[in-house]
Amino acid sequence: MAGQAPKLDAFAVARAAGLEELVNRFPDDVEAAAQAMANDLVELPENDVAAEPWPPMHIRPMPTGSAK
Amino acid sequence: MSDQVSELHWLTAAEIAAAYAARRLSPVELTQALIARINAHDGRVAAFIKLDSEAAIDAARQAEKDIIAGRTRSPLHGVPVAIKDIVDMVGLPTTCHSKIMLGNIAHADAPVISHLRAAGAILLGKLSLHEFAFGGPSEELPLPYARNPWNTDHQPGGSSSGSGAALAAGFVPLTVGTDTGGSIRGPAGLCGVVGLKPTYDLVSRHGVFPLAFTLDHVGPMARSVADTAVLLDALTGNVPTRRFGADLARGLRGLRIGFVRHFHETDMVADAEVTAALDEVARVLKAEGAELRDIRLPRLQQFTSAQRVIMHAEAWQVHAKWLRERPGDYAKPTRRKVLSGAFLTAGEYVRAQQCRAWMIDAVNDALRDVDVLMTVNGMDAASRLDDAADMARTYPRQARAPFNLTGHPALAMMSGLSKSGLPLSVQFVGRAHDEVTLLRAAAAYERATNWASNIHRWREVTCRLG
Repeated sequence: MAGQAPKLDAFAVARAAGLEELVNRFPDDVEAAAQAMANDLVELPENDVAAEPWPPMHIRPMPTGSAK
Repeated sequence: MSDQVSELHWLTAAEIAAAYAARRLSPVELTQALIARINAHDGRVAAFIKLDSEAAIDAARQAEKDIIAGRTRSPLHGVPVAIKDIVDMVGLPTTCHSKIMLGNIAHADAPVISHLRAAGAILLGKLSLHEFAFGGPSEELPLPYARNPWNTDHQPGGSSSGSGAALAAGFVPLTVGTDTGGSIRGPAGLCGVVGLKPTYDLVSRHGVFPLAFTLDHVGPMARSVADTAVLLDALTGNVPTRRFGADLARGLRGLRIGFVRHFHETDMVADAEVTAALDEVARVLKAEGAELRDIRLPRLQQFTSAQRVIMHAEAWQVHAKWLRERPGDYAKPTRRKVLSGAFLTAGEYVRAQQCRAWMIDAVNDALRDVDVLMTVNGMDAASRLDDAADMARTYPRQARAPFNLTGHPALAMMSGLSKSGLPLSVQFVGRAHDEVTLLRAAAAYERATNWASNIHRWREVTCRLG
């Protein structure tokens, strides 16, 4: 599968996420992780933006007598 | 009680229960034999992280008293079970096979453990896994990684690596695994055993360390389909009116099976031996009376893309704090995987969940026309552990993740042997909450082929372990 270049500078995104130590010690992991995620997104199908995402919201009734 | 039962380590749970009932075997005798076997061979397999011998022998003594007194609680009473070390057992560490969790002592049993204790099962210990059910074999891990008993130079699959390896090594008849992208069915396939990912939320996930909340499943693994069904009964609390093995003997006549060929023929191209074995499965199913037809689903890569986006986003939420504070305590394969979610946007996560909704509909639509789906499980036999490039190449070549995304029950089992003597496998998928029909199909295939239950084959594995 052809890869896609990461959309943003991976190190800047990682730093913004608070991963300063990880960027300094394991820069190859940061690049590899960003590339892997970009590759995965290539195959994500286009979809109806108004579609209800899974899981549908459910609100359960409160058990009888539990209201105070 | 008696010496009439030989090769105790290859007995199925059903055979053990029958031997107990006939007073030909005692829980203490069996538990001691399994502990001796684990002590003799686990140095090569590394399936166990913690063998809890003392507690297991105590439980076996109690089970023996109960059974002799006629107080047999369930088909698993006195039967040893081992647990992936991501599930809480009170008083024992839940390490998730990670340096980060080495001191994490569980303060309570997970509900699945409570259910097993209530059924009278003997809990033998905690089993190896890929770090946090996500990483992979690595020398950086705090404990040795598991190996495949069929050939210890090869990987056993993951992430429930110890759960598959322990069964194939004859260490225990039943194990519990977890499955977020195929982690029960992967090791089941590569180790030649049976693994079932039940319908989403059928088995409690409480007390199980999360990888990805909306994809995680807990399920049974065994050396036979019947044992898989009985263990699922126990994991769901042994509801008296429900037996997942109710239709095991019904056979295939009248059953409609949809073969999803495009997963392994065009979406990805499986190894030729895997493809040939799948064609043979189809031939056997037809010969046994099933009606087979080809079924098309969305492309495999579309399923796996959505599954991976969701998995990485949810795993990032679990691990972000440790990645900020202790990044060096992860093994490299795990660090790269849990880090990936940092590069996703909220919109991409929601988009994947929107795709998920129509993919669930697509599988439900297919299962209106057929009773069970059949697909490839893994595209390849087990890689060598010293071939990192092949491990990386084969890791994503699987068709398990779609059914974590959709929540349908899916079972993997042996479908043949490669020329190099390693197990090949097939996957069957059922309707949501219809594990009974799924297990019926698997049991009929098992009876017709005898792949998994052939004792001679297991004896060969024993020889290889030395």
